[in-house]
Amino acid sequence: MDSTSDRDLSDEIASLRPILFRLALLQLRDKHAAEDATQDALVAALEGQAKFHERASLKTWLLSILRFKIVDQLRKKKRIGPPIDPHVLEQELDLAPFEQLFDETGCWATPKDAWSDPHETTERNEFFRVLEACLTKLPTNTSRVFLMREWLELTTDEVCDEVGVKPGNLRVMLYRARMQLRFCLDENWMRET
Amino acid sequence: MSDKANEITCRDTTWLVSDARERELTPEEKRDLAHHIESCELCQGASKQFDVLFRQLKEFLGQPGRTS
Repeated sequence: MDSTSDRDLSDEIASLRPILFRLALLQLRDKHAAEDATQDALVAALEGQAKFHERASLKTWLLSILRFKIVDQLRKKKRIGPPIDPHVLEQELDLAPFEQLFDETGCWATPKDAWSDPHETTERNEFFRVLEACLTKLPTNTSRVFLMREWLELTTDEVCDEVGVKPGNLRVMLYRARMQLRFCLDENWMRET
Repeated sequence: MSDKANEITCRDTTWLVSDARERELTPEEKRDLAHHIESCELCQGASKQFDVLFRQLKEFLGQPGRTS
């Protein structure tokens, strides 16, 4: 690779910093920890850019480095992010808002329209914008545990251990996260045309 | 339907859809879920929405190789 394309790649890597930072922030819910993790990932990416192959997209590659950095910190038992408050946890376990979605027989109260399923880059980026906004609206601990499972792919035992919740409570938090994301997207995303 | 006692509700299906991302459902759970969705238009709609959500989430998080 010549120096011009090296520089182009460096610029491209740097241009994706905001995406990395926002996801790190959603995961860690701590600005300084998110900045550190993003910086570590970018430094590792710039040092290792010779290892980048076009087969995966640049964003995918950078997100995997960021993910690795955050998982590594967690595995080293350096607790990152604020500890969970039991009173806050109790609020985040409240299923009442979701009960209204069902009638007295446990049936969905309203029909569920088909969503537009984005395939094109522009439409997909628009979907990601809505999804990110919906993730941001999740309660703090709920989004942390949700992303630990769905992004970091930690085991449920590891998540319980890291956050200090019982498996039964984790199950409820993950259920709530998925229900709320579906609801939020249903409110804000386009219907199939 | 003959085995009313085994029938699950739409609410139950949402729990199974969520649990399935944490663990393999039991054969009974899988059967109940499939059986319910097959006969419930509302759940077919919700199930398609969850499919889009999980598929796009995987892309958003940069995990094209993830199987679920």
